[in-house]
Amino acid sequence: MKNIRKRNRRRPERLLEAERRRDNGVTRITHRDEGELDFLRRRALYSAFVVIFFFAILVARLWYLQVQQGPEYSRLADSNRVRYVEVAAPRGNILDSRGREIVTNRPSFNVVWVREDNRLNDALLKKMARILGQDVSDLLARIRKMANTPGHIPVRLAEDIDWETVAYIENNRMDLPGIKIEVVPVRVYHYGNLASHLIGYLGEISEKELKNSRPGVYRGGDLVGKMGLERLREKDLRGEKGRNYMEVNALGYEQKYLKGVEPLPGNDLQLTIDMDLQRVAEETMAAGDKAGAVVAVDVNSGRLLVAASAPALHIDEFVGGISRKAWKAMLENPYHPLINKIVQGQYPPGSTYKLVTATAGLAEGVITPDSIIYCPGYYRFGNRTYRCWKHSGHGAVKLKRALAESCDVYFYQVGQRLGVDRLAKYAHLFGLGRKTGIEMEHEKPGLIPTAAWKRKRFGKPWQEGETLSVAIGQGFDLVTPIQLAMMTATVANGGTLYKPGLVETVRDPDGRVIEQFKPHVVDRLVGQGRNLQLVRQGLIDAVNGRHGTGRRARLKDLGITVAGKTGTAQVVRLKQYRHLKDKDIPYKYRDHAWFTCFAPAENPEIAVTVLVEHGLHGGSSAAPVARAVLEKYFRDRGYGADDINVTILRSSGAGTTRAAAAAGSRTGRGANRRRQ
Amino acid sequence: MLRFDRRLIHHFDWVMLLMLLLVAGMALANLYSSTWNGGNTASPVFFKQLYLYILGTAFILVLVSVDYKELENLGYLMYAAVLLLLLYTDFFVHSIAGTQRWINLGVFHLQPSEPAKLVLVLVLASCYSRTEAPDGYRIRDLIKPGILTAIPFVLIMIQPDLGTALMLGILFVSMTVFVRLRWSTLTILGGAGLACAVIGWKFLLKDYQRRRIETFLNPEGDPMNHGYQIMQSKIAVGSGQMFGKGFMEGTQGHLHFLPERHTDFAFSVWAEEWGFAGALFFLGCYFFMLLWGINIAMTARDKFGVLLAFGLVMLIFWQAVINLFMIMGFLPVVGIPLPLFSYGGSSLLTTLFAIGILMNIRMRRYQTQK
Repeated sequence: MKNIRKRNRRRPERLLEAERRRDNGVTRITHRDEGELDFLRRRALYSAFVVIFFFAILVARLWYLQVQQGPEYSRLADSNRVRYVEVAAPRGNILDSRGREIVTNRPSFNVVWVREDNRLNDALLKKMARILGQDVSDLLARIRKMANTPGHIPVRLAEDIDWETVAYIENNRMDLPGIKIEVVPVRVYHYGNLASHLIGYLGEISEKELKNSRPGVYRGGDLVGKMGLERLREKDLRGEKGRNYMEVNALGYEQKYLKGVEPLPGNDLQLTIDMDLQRVAEETMAAGDKAGAVVAVDVNSGRLLVAASAPALHIDEFVGGISRKAWKAMLENPYHPLINKIVQGQYPPGSTYKLVTATAGLAEGVITPDSIIYCPGYYRFGNRTYRCWKHSGHGAVKLKRALAESCDVYFYQVGQRLGVDRLAKYAHLFGLGRKTGIEMEHEKPGLIPTAAWKRKRFGKPWQEGETLSVAIGQGFDLVTPIQLAMMTATVANGGTLYKPGLVETVRDPDGRVIEQFKPHVVDRLVGQGRNLQLVRQGLIDAVNGRHGTGRRARLKDLGITVAGKTGTAQVVRLKQYRHLKDKDIPYKYRDHAWFTCFAPAENPEIAVTVLVEHGLHGGSSAAPVARAVLEKYFRDRGYGADDINVTILRSSGAGTTRAAAAAGSRTGRGANRRRQ
Repeated sequence: MLRFDRRLIHHFDWVMLLMLLLVAGMALANLYSSTWNGGNTASPVFFKQLYLYILGTAFILVLVSVDYKELENLGYLMYAAVLLLLLYTDFFVHSIAGTQRWINLGVFHLQPSEPAKLVLVLVLASCYSRTEAPDGYRIRDLIKPGILTAIPFVLIMIQPDLGTALMLGILFVSMTVFVRLRWSTLTILGGAGLACAVIGWKFLLKDYQRRRIETFLNPEGDPMNHGYQIMQSKIAVGSGQMFGKGFMEGTQGHLHFLPERHTDFAFSVWAEEWGFAGALFFLGCYFFMLLWGINIAMTARDKFGVLLAFGLVMLIFWQAVINLFMIMGFLPVVGIPLPLFSYGGSSLLTTLFAIGILMNIRMRRYQTQK
C-alpha cells in the first residue's frame, strides 16, 4: 500500500508531462489516435465472432457427446464402475439307483489374487508363497497362465486350503492387498474310486474347451467334467453361476454392493447303477488282482446295474490336474487303468460267441436241437486240422451238451453250414459289431467279419476255413464287454436288444424330474423265442451240468439257477506257450477269460458279463466274479432266507442309510464265509 | 487517489461481478464434489480454494480504485518480477514429476507461469498502445513485443511446460493480429510460425510431449496413459447425458476413473453431474462473461484500455477453449486449466486479477484524460 501511495504522489507531474506532449501537435495526433481507437474497437467487435464461433463448436460437441452419444458413454461408464464377481454354482449330485449319494459337494477355500486391485509386487508374492507353502515360481506360473484374461478375473493361487490358512489370510487382509478367499464347492466322492470310469472326474477347463463353449458360461480356471458322466452330462450338472455386482473404483476396490444373482445348482443325476453291486464287482476284481470289466444289466430294460472297469482310476490323483509322473505310471501300467474296458476293450468273444452260432443255426434251420454232431477232438477242413479244446473229444453231441461243454467241433460245423455272412447277420441282431450307444466315451464298435468286409479291408476273398474260427469266437471277431452283456440280456429276455442305460432320472434343484429313463429297444429277434429257450437250456447246463464249464457261478444255496457261458479269448496263437503251465506263461500272452450269465434262469432278471484280461480260463477266473455280483443281487432281494440279518434289513425298507447297508453287506459276507 | 470519485461507484461493473460470482459458485460446488473424500466436511483443498476466492475477490475490489493507467508502466515492473521468478523456478527448484513449475511459499505453491500469461498481456498492451503505426505494423515494429514474448516462452519451455508456453504464443499472436498489421508482415509471420512448428516438433519437444500429441492423434495406441485420460473424460462428459447424474453422484469422478478431476478435468465432473443442461448453463455464463469483456474492450476509453481488455479476454478465452477442447477430446492433454473453474491458486489469482482489471477499465470508460 505504501508503494502505491508513493506512486500516486508522483502521478500529477507525470500527467502534466503527458498533457504537455499532447499539446505539441494537438489536432493531427488526436485525429490519428481516434482513428486507431475506432479501428481497435471494431476489431474487438470482430473478436466477439471468434468467441461465438468457438462456443458454438463447444455446444455442438457437448450435444454430440452427452445427448447423441450419451447412452453409449453411460454404458461405458457402467462397465468402468460395475464389476461382477462370479459365484460358482454347486454342481449337481450323482446318486445311485437307490438314492445313495455317490458324488456331492462341499465348500472349499481358494486363494485368489485380483490383479486389478493390486499390481504384482515381489514382496506380496514372496509373502503369499510363504503363507501357502509354495514356490514363487509356481505362483508365477499360475499368474502367467491367466495373462490373457481381463484383470478383474481373479487368478487362483491355491485351491482348497485348510482352515488355519484361511483364518491367517483373513486376519492379515490389510497387508495382502488384492488377495481374497474364494469359496468354491468341490466334489466329494462318497464311494472313493468306485465306478470311477463311469463317473469320471473334473479338471480345469482347457483353452480349447473354453473357446468352444458358449461365451459367458465358463471362464479360465473353471472346473469341468473331463471324463465319464461328469463330462457327458456337463450341461446337466454344471448349473448356472451366480453373479454379485459390485461398484468398484478406478483402483478396483469394491465400493458398494449393487445387486446379486444367486447361482442355480446343477441337476442331480440318479444312476441305474446299484453301488452295492458295483462295490462287490470292483472289490472282487481287486481282491483277485484282476484287470478287466464287469457289467451287470437289467435284462428287461437295459438298465446297467454294474459298470466296472478294473483296475479303478484313482480319482484323487486327477483332482487339480494330474502330475506327469502319475500319468506316465498309469500309461505304463500293464493293467491299463486309463482304459475303460467296458466300452474301449475289444476282445475276441471266444466261446461266448457260441450263443450267436447256436441261435443262428437254429433260426436258419441248419441244425435242430436234436442234430447230432460227432466230436473226435478235432475237425479236419481242407488241409488243416481244427482242434476242439477237449483233445480227447466229446463224442456224439447235441446242441444242449455242445453249449454246456462248449464243444468246438460242433460249432465248427454249424458255422460251416451257415457261412460267415449268415453268422454275422445274427451277431448284428445281438448288437455285436456296432456301438451300443451307452453314455460312455470312446466306445469301440468291435468287429464282426463278413465276406464283403474282408474283400474291402484286405482285398482278398473270404476263406471258408476262417468261418470255423469265427464260429467259435476267434479269428477276426472282436467284442466289448458291454456288447456281450447286452447280447446275454437279449438271450435272457427272449430276443429284445436294449440300449444300455446309465441315467435313471435327472432332477432339477427343485426336485422336478426333467429326464426319466425309458427302455430303448434297438433290435428284436422276431420269432426266435423257442430257439432262444433252447440256447438258454444249454447255458443252464453249462453252469449246473456235471461237466459244465461254468460251475463256479452256481448259486445253489440261494435257490437261484444261473445260466451262463464261459469263454476264452486267445491272445496269441504261439504254440510255444500252448504246452506251458498257466503260471509260466508271461502275463501279457495269457488268454482273456470271459464269463457271461443271467439269472434266475427260468425268469431272468439280471445278466452279468465278466471279462478278466489274461485271466486264462473263464470258468475259474471270471465266473466267481459274476457269482459274487449275483449273490449280492439276490441276497439284497431276500434270497438266502437263513441269513436273518439280511431279512431284517430288507423288512426295514430299502434305501436305508449307507451305514446300515454297509453293515448288511458285511454280515452277508460273513454268513457266506461260514457256509463255505 | 484515496479521495473517492463517487462516479466510480456509480459506474462500478456489477455485471462482471455477478458473472464472476455465478461462475465462482459453480466452480466451488464442483470442487466440493470432486474432492469430497467421504468425510463429513469438505476437503482441505476446497477450503483453500474458497479462501483464495474470497481473498482474491476482496483484493480486486480494492484494486479497482487504482486507475488501470498505472499498469502501462507498472506492467514492465511486474513483468521483470515474473521473469525473475521463472528464472528461479527453472534453475533452483527441485523438479516435481520431471517438471519444475512451482515455488513453495509455505502455505501456497506459486506457479510463476500463471502470472506470466497476465504480465505478458500487460506489457504487450502497453507496448502496442505506445507504438504508432498508421499504415500497419512492419516486422521491425514487432521485434520488441516478440522479444517480450520470447523470454518467458523460453523460460517456461525449459520447465518444461509446453501448454503454458504455447499459451503465451497464442496470446502474442492474438494481440498482434488484433492491431493493424501489414499484409507483408502477416505473410512473413505465418511462414515463420509454420517453420517454427516443424522445427519445434523435430528438435525441441521432449519425448513425452511428442507422445502426448501422437496419442491424441491415435488414442487406441496408448490406452492406459493420455489416451486413457481423454477417453475417461469423454466417458464422464457423455455419461452425464441430458440432465446429469446429480450433484455428488458422478461415478467417473467419485470412483477416480477421471484423472486430474479437480484441476484440468474439473469440467468433466461438472458435465457428468449436471448433464447437458448444466454444462450449457455454465458455458452460457462463461460465454456471457467473455462477451462482456469484449464489450469492455469496445467501450474502453483509450487504446491501452482496448488492447488490455482484449488481451485479458483472450487470456481467459483461449485457456477455456483449449481446456474444454481437451476435455471433449478435440485436443491432446496439455496442462491448461479452465480459468476460475479448475483448482489451482496461481491460476485463480491470476484470473481474478485479470477480471479486476477488466472491471477497472469498465468503470473508467467515461473518464477522459485531461
